[in-house]
Parts: sequence; structure tokens; C-alpha cells
Amino acid sequence: MDASLMADALIQATDVGRAYRQGSATVAAVVEATFQLQPKDRMALMGRSGSGKSTLLHLMAGLDRPDSGSLLWPALGAAESLLPAKIALVFQAPSLLEPLTVAENVALPLLMSGAVVDTDAAVTAALATFGLTHLADKLPETLSGGQMQCVAMARAIVGQPQLILADEPTGQLDRVTGQALLDALLQHLAGTETALVIATHDPAVAERMTMIWRMDHGRLLADGQREVVA
Amino acid sequence: MIWLWLGGLIRERQGRLVGMMTGIALSVALLAALGAFLTQSAASMTHRAIGSVPVDWQVQIAAGASLPDIAKVLAPGVSKQQTVGYADVDGFEAHTGGTVQTTGPGKVLGVDAQYRLDFPEQLRSLVGNLDGVLVAQQTAANLHVGMGDSVQIHRPGLPSAEVKVAGIVDLPNADSLFQAVGVPPGAAPQAPPDNVLLLPLSTWHGLFDPQAVARPDSVRMQLHAGLAHDRLPNDPEAAFVAVQGAARNLEARIAGNGVIADNLAARLDAVRGDALYARVLFLFLSAPGCLLAAFLTIAVAASGGDRRRRDQALLRIRGASRSQIMQLAAVEAGVVGVGGAAIGVGLAALISSMLLQTTIFAGSAAVWVAGAALAGVLLAQAAILITAWRNLTLTTVKDARMALGQERARLWQRVGLDFICLGLSAIVFWRTWSTGYQVVLAPEGTPSSSVDYIAFLAPVLLWLGAGLLTTRLCLIGLGLGRDQLARVLRPLAGPLAGIVAAAISRQRRRITQGIALVALGFAFATSTAIFNTTYHAQTLVDAALTNGADVTVTGTAQAPASAALQTLRALPGVMAAQPMQHRFAYVGNDLQDLYGIDARHIGEATRMSDAYFAGGDATRTLALLARTPDGVLVSEETAKDFQLQLGDALNLRLQNARDHQYHSILFHYIGIAREFPTAPHDSFLVANAAYVSEQTGAAGAEIVLLQTSAAPARVAVAAKLATAAWPGIKVTDIGQAQHLIGSSLTAIDLGGLARLELGFAVLMVAGATGLILALGLADRRRTFAILSALGAKPRQLGVFLWSEALLLFIVGALVGMLTGFGLAWMLVKLLTGVFDPPPELISVPWFYLLALIGVALLSVVAAVIGALRETGVPAVQRMREI
Ligand SMILES: Nc1ncnc2c1ncn2[C@@H]1O[C@H](COP(=O)(O)OP(=O)(O)O)[C@@H](O)[C@H]1O
Ligand SMILES: [Mg+2]
Repeated sequence: MDASLMADALIQATDVGRAYRQGSATVAAVVEATFQLQPKDRMALMGRSGSGKSTLLHLMAGLDRPDSGSLLWPALGAAESLLPAKIALVFQAPSLLEPLTVAENVALPLLMSGAVVDTDAAVTAALATFGLTHLADKLPETLSGGQMQCVAMARAIVGQPQLILADEPTGQLDRVTGQALLDALLQHLAGTETALVIATHDPAVAERMTMIWRMDHGRLLADGQREVVA
Repeated sequence: MIWLWLGGLIRERQGRLVGMMTGIALSVALLAALGAFLTQSAASMTHRAIGSVPVDWQVQIAAGASLPDIAKVLAPGVSKQQTVGYADVDGFEAHTGGTVQTTGPGKVLGVDAQYRLDFPEQLRSLVGNLDGVLVAQQTAANLHVGMGDSVQIHRPGLPSAEVKVAGIVDLPNADSLFQAVGVPPGAAPQAPPDNVLLLPLSTWHGLFDPQAVARPDSVRMQLHAGLAHDRLPNDPEAAFVAVQGAARNLEARIAGNGVIADNLAARLDAVRGDALYARVLFLFLSAPGCLLAAFLTIAVAASGGDRRRRDQALLRIRGASRSQIMQLAAVEAGVVGVGGAAIGVGLAALISSMLLQTTIFAGSAAVWVAGAALAGVLLAQAAILITAWRNLTLTTVKDARMALGQERARLWQRVGLDFICLGLSAIVFWRTWSTGYQVVLAPEGTPSSSVDYIAFLAPVLLWLGAGLLTTRLCLIGLGLGRDQLARVLRPLAGPLAGIVAAAISRQRRRITQGIALVALGFAFATSTAIFNTTYHAQTLVDAALTNGADVTVTGTAQAPASAALQTLRALPGVMAAQPMQHRFAYVGNDLQDLYGIDARHIGEATRMSDAYFAGGDATRTLALLARTPDGVLVSEETAKDFQLQLGDALNLRLQNARDHQYHSILFHYIGIAREFPTAPHDSFLVANAAYVSEQTGAAGAEIVLLQTSAAPARVAVAAKLATAAWPGIKVTDIGQAQHLIGSSLTAIDLGGLARLELGFAVLMVAGATGLILALGLADRRRTFAILSALGAKPRQLGVFLWSEALLLFIVGALVGMLTGFGLAWMLVKLLTGVFDPPPELISVPWFYLLALIGVALLSVVAAVIGALRETGVPAVQRMREI
């Protein structure tokens, strides 16, 4: 592996492990994961429920710390500095703040990272990307589950992060809507340096990525195969 | 199923269960402890009052009636009785040291040796022994006689008789001993006779049975009786009714052969009103506290609605019916209620024995305890069942959405309940104000009494109305003032200010409820503290008024205290000493106390309160008196009775030192005195000492008032030693007076009660702020989990938490304290009757209020830090929980 690639890598993981206590038992959620993530990567993370996808995404976001191995962000910096400016995380569970409108929810990462940009314009653009402009002033409780996922996605792109980690973003959507969301996202990212990792068990989603990693019982079985998306 | 559910509850919902139990325990404890204190203090009031009655009944035998017969009728109802003979004589005469002294008319009493054992407070031996012929101290001074000297008694219509003095006594209760029995109440008080001789009953019969034949009007017989006090009811009102009933019954049985002077009932009569005030006071000071504890309990029960809904949904999935779910809620409420009540009773027992020196398990107090416990159990049922029912019926998505933002106004808002409460409060207060704050009516002599409980709706409605109005205004303010709020939050929240303000604005209903509860807590604590402080300050004023000054040295006309003035002035710890004459003067046929003062300097030794004088200006009134040598201040009643106009000449008859006769002296009426140090509460006169001295030929002042810089009790001891050489001089200090005003409500030691209430108020405020905040934050764990999962730094999470916490605390404390001041003012006004004289200003316990703010702030900090710490658990974990 060449040195310049390593220095540019968004993530450099070596033998990363994460285990949880469940009562008296210990569950290994991620076992000896070694991988590298480069800018512009389009990665699908596939595996059954409980295989450790969410755990790995949280580790990659610096939200959770590994128990063993080394996890570095050579191009991004320390684990504490990643969210929300450099990495955006889209959760599997609904994650909009109830008392805030759609626009306010989307603005959150910008406000929290203290970015010096025109917040309103950035929010409007992000909402437009996913065709959510008409929902800007709505409260989350009035949205459908699918709409909430879209808003969460808009919130992920608004700060123009270098890496977007999406945990089953289409889980709540029907196939057509899911594909439309993915289209919008990929189109938005086209031509940018931003890397994308999507955890999913939908092969139709995985197909749209350039690389597929499979997870089984916490082990990362890198497929390594690069497919070019049409 | 029930056990399973309970086990689950105890495991999973500990916090809420403990919170509710605490709320109930606090309500129960407050109610029970205060109730116990109330019943106990009523009993101690009764005991103290009747303990100071030297002779319960004086039965005057009608002319021609048989004393032994009446004694026989009396016997079964009383625990002790003694025969006392009263004879009027023309005067006494003594030859001592080569001079002859004679006195004016006097009285000779005949008492048995057993009398002073049965009624020990009636006679105090000064010199010699108590067997044989006794001379009252003032008479001994008039006659210049001592032990072994002879005194001639000039009997009307009979030759004089001679007796040998065996001792000199003081008659501390001369007023009641010589009262005119059978005259209608309210008739002019009779001055006790100046000259009194006491003979053994057999001797008396020997001398005065013949006089009774010659001049029947000059000789009377009385039976003095004592009742068994321990058989009287504890409550002053009930005791009064019982004693008066017994007296009436006796009078009926002796059918016109005697008249009863019912000293005991008269005493109880005076205490009755105070006991009613005590009850009212209790109502007042405890009701808001209990309501507050109830509100808190309900708030705890209502929190965690999400979880409860989820629990209920799970139960329903498993096939539980609505009624089964409600049954489970009832079981939960039963556990909480019984547990809370039990803890509350235990707490009350502890508090009572530690702070109030009473026990809650004695007699009538037990009723309160049982009532309080029952109320606690019912409160738990109501709080839990109502929330359970609401959660059960509001489970549809649409209903759940009502929790946020733009829901329509509640019923109370639409009907304007806050304005109705405040309006009614004003009307009720105005009504009471217009009757001169006559909240407690216990007309003297009649066994009826009434408390205007309605009057106390005024502060309760003010309190509730202020709470509701605060809610309304906060809802409007947080709804419309989002931009302003954002501006205020900017320094704290930076770029997040707008979002935080938006979040607060949309959650205004929840936040406003918190603010209202905090405000109610602060209002309760503030008003209670101010009232207690004012009350305490006023007991000091009352005691000073009763005692006269810090230390009061009282002599007699023959041995005026002013003789010791220089000695007293020189005592260490004495800041100022001022003489004050205490004479008697006839206003028409009415004998009144007259106080001769040095108007310019009296204020150095005792406080001259503005409330003492009509017009409310002590300085001006005293200056006027100083400028008018023959000026006199009279009571309102006298001014009215004699239709006096300012400047009118007023002839008073005062005793002259040379001939001991009353002579008319010209005064000018210059103002009205309502109260005066040492003066009785009804009618009295205040004049210039110099003028009184000049006109009566007696320059001495009977009283010397001392203002002390050291502890009054210590100065009093020194003063006693310094005046030991002057016979008959009494020294009292303000502390004694506080204990002695046995009947007065202000004499109840409210120290423990105040500590209890103030402690409770602090708990309530800390509970209201901390608990409400903690519960609110706990309900929004999800929000904070999402925020931190999105990458919010601890500081940014802190912004959300602190903004809300400070808003709740600052607005709540501010509104609450303002309301508290208003409430305290209203309470002090309504309870004017408790105070004697009424306070000029409310006293504000700044230290307590600061401490209150401090404690509340601490609980806010604790709640926020607790919530922040919880967000410290890796965010991922919580993202899974939500
Ligand atoms: N906070 C946690 N506590 C205990 N066990 C956990 C926790 N998070 C994940 N696990 C366990 O780790 C394993 C992987 O979970 P997860 O990463 O959520 O898988 P996936 O996202 O693929 O469904 C599962 O067995 C899960 O039960
Ligand atoms: Mg997952």
C-alpha cells in the first residue's frame, strides 16, 4: 500500500475491534476490521441484522471508540473533531429533533460546527437537493417516516462533509423512493471529493456503489470488487 | 399479573415512584405535623390561660341566703371552695412612733387558714407569717405599721375594734379579688381599695357579724371555688362553653340566692378568639404548602407519559383490557399512596418531636394524622389514575401531537380562570377590608364565635390566580417573543440561540408549567417567610408594649421606682432610663389609668410607635404634648363618649398626695392614644409628668423604663439587686412578658412551627425547581442523545440545558417572589387582629430569601449537571434506546 495513499486516506483501520457486554456475556460487534477509506469512495456495507454494520459506522464516525486495534483519520484529524463538520452520520432510527422545523433540523450541523456560511442558503439548497423545499417549515411529527429519512439526508449533506456515513437510509422507503433518494444523493456528490458509506441489506442499493463490503458476525469480509456504476 | 407488574414498576420506574412517594410524604407530613401542633397549641393555650386564673368562681351570696346551703349545692361541681367575708369599714388608724395615721375607707376580708393553701396565688407574704391579722402592703405603708403593731378598725355604726398585725402581704390579684360581682359586664372598672386588712375567718365573724346586722349593705359573703381543670376540654372554645354552662347551671340551682363571678370563663373567653386565629393561621400557612406538594406529585405522575403510553400499548398487545390497565394503575397508586402516607406520618412524628416538641399520636392530634394520611392516599389515586386514564385515551397519533406547539387553549384559558381568580380575590379582600379586617369574631361573654373563612379565599385565590396568569403570560410571551428570547440567549448560546429559542418556544406549554410550579413554590416560601418574620417582630413589639420597655421597674405610689432612677441609670447594660408615672384618674365616673411622661425623652427608653397614636405620627403627637403642659391624650372611646373636640378643656379627678382625696384638675384634650407601653388595652390617659406632679403634689414616678444594650434578662437581675432595698419594687423584662401574655396568640411559641414551615418551603422550592427540571430533561433524553450523536459538544448540549433551566428559574423565582410579597402583605392585613398593635411595615427576611434563591439555584445546577452527565454516556448507546 503506497504511502501517499495512506496519508490521504480518510480512514485507516487496523484490527479494529468493539465488544459489548450484554449481561454476563460479551458480544463482539466488530472483530479485527482492517480497511482503508479514500476520498470519493462509494462503499456499500452489507450484512444481516446484528452483523455489526451500525457499530462499524459509529466507530468510523468517531462516535464510538474501538476496544482494540487502531483507528485513524489521517486526512481528517482527531476523533473528537469529526462530527458534524467533517463527517456526517445518518442514523438508522428517526433522528429529527421534535421541537424544531425541518429547516431548523437541517441547519443544526452548520450551527453546531460554527461554519461561516450563509446558513439559510445552504439549508435551502440542501432541501432542494432532495425535493423537500415545501416541507421547510413543517415540524417532524407531521412528516412520514420516509420524509424524515430524506430530511436526515439533507441534514447530512448541508455542511459539505468529506465523508457521509448512512445507516440504512432507505430502510423506511419503498424501492422507488429509495432509488430516487439515492439518485439525488449521488448526483449531489458527483464531482466532489466526498466519500460515502451506506450500510444496507438491499442489494439494489448496494449495486449503486463502487465497492461492497460484507459483514458477518462482526467480521468484515471485503469483497474488494469495484463495480463501475452506470 | 399484578405482582409481575409491580415488580416491573419497582425495577423500571423507580425514579417516578420515589418522586411521587416523596411528594405525598411531604404533603402528609406537613399536614399532620401542623395539625398536631395546632391541637397541641390550643391545649397549651387553654392550660396556660386557666392556670393563671387564681380563683375560678366567686359566688356572692345574696342577702339573707344561707351560705352552707349554697356551699352544699356547689360542692359536687368544684374541686375546692372557701368562704370569704367582705366588710366595708370607714377607715383604719394606727399609732406608731409617736404619730397617728388614719386612712380613708377600706375593706376587711375574712379568710380561713386553708384559703391560702387552696388559692396560693391570692396572698404573697412580704413580712411576718400568714397566720393571724394581715395588712396589705400599701395599707401598712399608709399606716406606718409593721409586725406586732396595733391597728384600729373603724366599723360603721359600731365601736372601733383593735387588732394586732401578724404580717404584711401583697395581694397580686386585687382586681379580681375585689371585683363587683353581679354588675353587668362592661360597667366601669372598680379600682381595688387602697386599704385592706385580712382577718382569720373566726375573728372576722366576731367583728363583723354584728356589723352585718347593723349595716347589712356593708358586709357580704363569697364562696371562692376552684374547678378541676384537668377535666376541661382542651379547646378554649369548648372549655369556655363547658365552664359557662356549668356556671349557668349552678346559678339556676341556687335560684337567685347567689351570683357568680365566672373568672375562668372570662379568661377562656379572651383566649377563644386567639385560638380561632391560630386555626386560621394554620389553615393559611399550610394550605398552599399542601397544595404545592400535591401539584408536584401530579407533575411527577404526569411526567414520563411516553413511557407510560408504551407500557400501556405493550399491555394491550398482550390482551389487557382498559379496565385491567386502570386496575393496575390503581394498584400502583395504592402502593405509592400507602407508602407515601406511611413515610409522611413517620416524618411528621420525627418533625413533631424534634421541632415542635409535641407528639402526633396524642388524642385529638391523631385525628389530624389520620386525615392527612387519608388525603395522601387519595391524592396518589387521583394523580396516577387521572394520568393513566389520559394516556389511555390519548394514544392516537393525533392526540399525541397535541403535546407540541400550536394546540388550542385550555378550558381555563378560554374562560379566563386566572382573571376570575384575581378578581374574586380582590373582591373578597375588599369585603374584608371594608369591615376593618374582622376575620375572627368572638364577642365577649357570648358562647358564639365565628371565623370568616371566606376572607382567606383572598390570598388563596391570589396565589392560584397569579400562578395561572403567569402561565398565560408565559405562554403568550414564549409564543410571540421568540426573537427577543433568542436575543437574550445570544451571549449564552451563540449561533445556536435562534434554535434554542425556537425549541423553547415550541415547548412552551411544558416549560410554562414548570415556571408556574416554581413560581408557586417561591410565592409560598416568600410569603410564609415574610409573614413569620413580621409575626416574630410583632411579638417583640407586643411584648415591649406589654412590659413597657426592655426592662421595667415598677414601684408603688408610696415607693416610687423613680427613687432608684440614678442607681438604675448607672447599671451596666442600661442605655437609657426614663421615669413614667402611673396614677389613676376619674374621667366622669370612669376610673382610668393615667400615665405621666416626659414627652421629650420617653422615646429614649421605649419605642414610641406611630401606631400608638391616632394620626399615626408619634413624633408629632409627643412634640405637641411637650408643648402643651396641661395637654392630655385620651382613648378613642373616651373621646367619643365625652364628645371631645381637640383643644377642649377636660376635668380629671386625681388623688392628691396631701389629703389622699381626689381633686379636679384641668387638662386640655390634644389627641388620641391607642396603645401605650404598660397601658391596658381599653381606656387610659397620657399626660405630662411635670404637670401631674405639680397638681397632685406627688413628684415620684411609679415606673422606670430601661432600654438595654445587654440582654434584658441579665439587666433585670442587676436591677432587682439594685432595688432590693426598696420594698415592693418589681422588675420585669421583655422576655418574661413574652411568656406571660398567656392568652395572646403571639405568646404561642411559633419558633418550631416557623422552622418547620420555612424548612418545608425550602424543600418545596428546591423540589419544584430541581424536580421539574430533572423530569423535563429526562423526558427529553432523546433530544439530547440525538444532539450529541450529531456531534454536539458538551458545551453546546449545556446551552440547551442551561437556557431552559435558567429561564425556568429566573422567571419562576422573580414572579414567585413578587407574588409572595403581595401575599404576605395581604396576610398581614387579614390577620391584623392577631397583632396588637398591627405592624407598620412587613419585615422581610432577606437572609432567608437569599438562602432560598441559593438552594433553588443549587437544585437547578444539580438537575442540569445530572442531565449533562447522562449525556456523557456514549451517545451511541442512547441512540439505540430511543
Ligand atoms: N450498546 C450495545 N449494547 C449491547 N450490545 C450491543 C450494543 N450495540 C450493539 N450491540 C450488539 O452488537 C451486535 C451488532 O449490532 P449492530 O452494530 O447494531 O448490527 P447491525 O447494525 O448490523 O444490525 C448485535 O449483536 C447487538 O446486539
Ligand atoms: Mg443497524
